[in-house]
Amino acid sequence: MNKLDYEPGSFRDPTARVFYYKDSIYREIFPAGEEKLKFLKEKNLLKDLIDKNFLIGSEELKKKHFDFIDENSIVIKHDKLNFISYPYEWTFNELKDAALFHLDFQIYLLERSAQLVDASAYNVQFRNNKPIFIDLLSIDKYREGEYWVAHKQFCENFLNPLVLTSKKGINFNNWFRGNLEGISTHELSSILNLKDLINPTIFFHVYLLNKIEEKSQKNPNKVTEKIKTSKGLSKNSFRSMLISLKKFIESLNLRKQSSIWDQYSTNNSYSKEDERKKIKAVTGFLKKNNFKLLGDLGCNDGKYSKLATENNVETVIGFDFDLKVLDRAYLNAKKNSLNFFPLYLDASNPSGNLGWNDSERMSFQRRASFDGIFALALTHHLAIAKNIPLNQILSWLVSLAPKGIIEFVPKEDPTTQIMLSLKGDIFPQYNEENFEQQLSKLAKIENISVVSETNRKIYEYKRL
Amino acid sequence: MPNKIILILVYFFLMQRNSFAYLDPGTGSIILQAILGFIAAAGASVVLYWTKFKELLSKIFKSKNKKSE
Repeated sequence: MNKLDYEPGSFRDPTARVFYYKDSIYREIFPAGEEKLKFLKEKNLLKDLIDKNFLIGSEELKKKHFDFIDENSIVIKHDKLNFISYPYEWTFNELKDAALFHLDFQIYLLERSAQLVDASAYNVQFRNNKPIFIDLLSIDKYREGEYWVAHKQFCENFLNPLVLTSKKGINFNNWFRGNLEGISTHELSSILNLKDLINPTIFFHVYLLNKIEEKSQKNPNKVTEKIKTSKGLSKNSFRSMLISLKKFIESLNLRKQSSIWDQYSTNNSYSKEDERKKIKAVTGFLKKNNFKLLGDLGCNDGKYSKLATENNVETVIGFDFDLKVLDRAYLNAKKNSLNFFPLYLDASNPSGNLGWNDSERMSFQRRASFDGIFALALTHHLAIAKNIPLNQILSWLVSLAPKGIIEFVPKEDPTTQIMLSLKGDIFPQYNEENFEQQLSKLAKIENISVVSETNRKIYEYKRL
Repeated sequence: MPNKIILILVYFFLMQRNSFAYLDPGTGSIILQAILGFIAAAGASVVLYWTKFKELLSKIFKSKNKKSE
């Protein structure tokens, strides 16, 4: 990437804009945002936040570093992340960790008389499985008595989705993706029952908040007047509210529900010998390459992603549609400090370009700049369960990375047989010959390994 | 301040008016924070008075004990 590209999602901040140039990421701060930057540099706050891993690395460049930037602007160079993910792609515990991080960050800032002026979950990203804040201009001076301006946004971006999943057993992801601002207080409130309302946090921050909002809509002028004359929120009360929210979120857990894929990596159709062959084929492919960023599509609990991190791959981003298994994969990766981050993706309905002007949040395809991919035991699910033609599946997979491995599971395999048993064999094109023929049109097949007695094969490809 | 909060609460829960304008979505959140702030302040006051009350009791009992000695 040598050209200049402006980040379409940064339009909401009128004081700055983010741009990409020569594979690096920068923020142009307009004169209107200079005051905030000045505050950050006072008492070394900016450096302190970066050193404490709250804020992404941000280095101010000398004036006139870029001839295409107005000389009155200030340019900050940010550390670049391997992959940008969105809250609707996170698992329950990923969003929970992001929420706790956000509160910890706000509590810390308050100690230094600063605050976060927004609570957008999109401003939290993950680096090596740890949350990090990416927007330095969301930090501003705190003045005693000020209300937490980002409270409602925090509820809708963090608290409400977590309550929805933990208390109601509804995964927040598709709902969140439908409304990029999160789960609205009004909608969540309408599905709460009496048992939920016994909890003071849910009562105040969801139910009562919704009731007040409903009432305040009736006479806005009077409400605004009352607020203007009110005394404000003391720093102690602000801090107590943040701590009580933190305690509540810490107590939230994922409901216990089993899924088909829960035990897949330990309870699958592979024999020990087959598994050994598969590990050998995958390891052989990894050793021939030196990938910086690998996408593992259909990663399940991350067994092969882990193998990749142990074989020279710098970072693995895993994708799967089973949120329960993904969450387990995340907790495991976090516990073992693996450079593997799992995300929710339904390959038959991947995240698209969303938001204002169809460009505020990038599609999965636009963000997929992988050096290599794994598509192990994935194609038969798309071809047989979702009726997607083989040529389209292969074309999509090969478009994601110049190199990769794709597993072909034949119709004779027990898993495919189960899928066909009720549906009937309506897939005459789903066969090895057609698979090879279609893949050859897109890529050079560099190696084929037979990995099971039922003739499952792993194909190594290199895009043409 | 507490009287004002109570008035705001009574106003919101009892009065019904016709909706006529758009209101900043954060306004409800600010009112909620005012209520939470009031509860926290009230809680702190209770704790403060309770501590003072306990101190008073211990003073009375100490002085009684001294007298009996």
